[in-house]
Amino acid sequence: MKLLTHNMLTSHVKGVTQGYPLLIKATEVKVNEVEFNPEFVVKMIPKLEWSALVQAAEELGQKQDLPEQLVADYGKDEAFLKKVHRILLEVEVMEGSLKCPESGREFPITRGIPNMLLNEDEV
Amino acid sequence: MAESKNDGNLIRYYCTAGKGMELFLLEELKKNLAAEDVYQIPGKVIFSSTADVNRLCQLKAAERIFLFLKQDHPVSITAKTNPAKAASALQSRLLGDIEQWTSAVRTWTRLQREMVYRSYPVTLSKGSTREDSVVQKRNEPSGTGKKRKRDDDVDEEKWTFPPQENTSGIRNRHNTLTDQSKDDAKKANTSGEASQIPMRLSTTQLPSAPISFRINCKCSGSLSRCFTPQEVSKVIGVGLSRHLGWKTDLKNPQLEVNIHLSDDHCLMGIPLSRLPLANRCYIKNTGLRSTIAWAIASLAQIQPGFCVLDPMCGVGTILIEAAQEHTDALFLGMDIDDGQIQRANENIEFAEVENRIHLTKASSMMIPLSDGRVDVIVCDLPFGRKFGNKVDMAAKLPLILTEMERVLCVGGTLVLLLSPQLSCLLKKLLEKSHTETSSNNDSKSQAGLQSYPPPPLPAGRVTLKIDQEIHSSPIQDPGRQTDLHTFHSSLKHQESFRVSLGLIDGIIHKYVKTII
Repeated sequence: MKLLTHNMLTSHVKGVTQGYPLLIKATEVKVNEVEFNPEFVVKMIPKLEWSALVQAAEELGQKQDLPEQLVADYGKDEAFLKKVHRILLEVEVMEGSLKCPESGREFPITRGIPNMLLNEDEV
Repeated sequence: MAESKNDGNLIRYYCTAGKGMELFLLEELKKNLAAEDVYQIPGKVIFSSTADVNRLCQLKAAERIFLFLKQDHPVSITAKTNPAKAASALQSRLLGDIEQWTSAVRTWTRLQREMVYRSYPVTLSKGSTREDSVVQKRNEPSGTGKKRKRDDDVDEEKWTFPPQENTSGIRNRHNTLTDQSKDDAKKANTSGEASQIPMRLSTTQLPSAPISFRINCKCSGSLSRCFTPQEVSKVIGVGLSRHLGWKTDLKNPQLEVNIHLSDDHCLMGIPLSRLPLANRCYIKNTGLRSTIAWAIASLAQIQPGFCVLDPMCGVGTILIEAAQEHTDALFLGMDIDDGQIQRANENIEFAEVENRIHLTKASSMMIPLSDGRVDVIVCDLPFGRKFGNKVDMAAKLPLILTEMERVLCVGGTLVLLLSPQLSCLLKKLLEKSHTETSSNNDSKSQAGLQSYPPPPLPAGRVTLKIDQEIHSSPIQDPGRQTDLHTFHSSLKHQESFRVSLGLIDGIIHKYVKTII
């Protein structure tokens, strides 16, 4: 699971109103080099919950110098875009789980793929 | 993309397309290739283009591409016509001007030389590895001539040319290969891909050597009651041999001639490539037919920065077709089945789009995304054949639709492929929901026009205000939406297309989410 995916995922366990952002418990994290596509990063930034991204990066110990706040005029700031690129696409949780912040329900991540399926009694 | 190498020469071609795909192909030709003089007949689109032949071979909506040879009025022969006379009429009509044939073959040979060597990895069946399938292909008996009759059919996916064991075998057969083609042969050997020998290998023969050919014929309508395709092939084959000195070779011809005779037209052409264009080199595990998947993605009008979801992605075919063309969009694939997710993952790696397509195991009835999060949803709803009785799609459709609508932003696009049965159900659901909505909103429907809400906002961002409105709307809780009577929808129908999926048809519907 890349952190871009994590930034999108929400828990819908029955009764939960604030199932976002999911807490990450990682047992295996991989950092792969991925080809940098600045256009892609620029287009993705408006889609992101910035604070959730920073929190996730922190949980994985991968925050490095990623700023707490989204920088203004980031479109031309290549150094910043590379940081975002790294955290969105290069850091990948291979094994671990995602925890719903409200219900505490854990969703396993196996071989890089989060399993967000709920049991029948949870919906 | 390579520029035209034809020096502005307008060349006439035609493509075959699956039933219902002609319109998509027509659009693609006009929009992406600036093709001229484009028109369609059932199953085929005829056009002229100056574009580089390699670009033509990347057409997405087409099955196969042919160099146009000749088109004529249908040959009218009745059962009463004397067979010998009929055969002679057929021959003179189809052969016509012999110069036309020689010049077509010249053009075809030139195009073959221009074609970048296309080494298609063989499209694999589920679970097998690439190496296995290469071996299988090589071991296939070469006497597949009879299979070729189905060539022009919509279901030509399984169509195979008699495979050539290896390039040295060819060299033995044609001792007159030039140096260039030897290079090609080497390339073919060393490429490591499934060895698909390009047609041009054998076209570089010395001009003095007679051309070997084979005819594929398809007859329909009244003519098929007088002649079998074999008889037509024979009549034309004999004619070509006599007038041009060409030699028939059923097993390993240099070129093929395709003839399609129907009550409406008679069309002849020479295929440019051996494998259908619909066999994508970047797909490992095949799912939905690639041309249809491409059509679904193209209807969604994906823009840079879009977030695109397929909540029942299967092996990921639609997302991969879309991701090929859109490098600046995010694609989320979800499926409930581990096996499908795994194959989708393999496909994504194989197509090298893992940065853009991200997979999650999840149910389409509880999509793990917040409201209004995605700009586009594309989905091939399971028809219930493969999945047996495990999922009763008809019963779950309202719930699935509600979930899709929830995660879609206002102005967002939904493109669905459904079985005709599910399509009817969907229409009923939405009609019912719209009439109820409009009667609740009293005067709206009195204009006598559409009783739909105001036009959609441009796709993309949703303002906070709208977001909150949706949040508080009654569609919020999907758990209560199973009952048709409480089903409300802000999905506005845009267009529908009926396409052939082989044995059965499917319906593609496009909707845009509006504000209730």
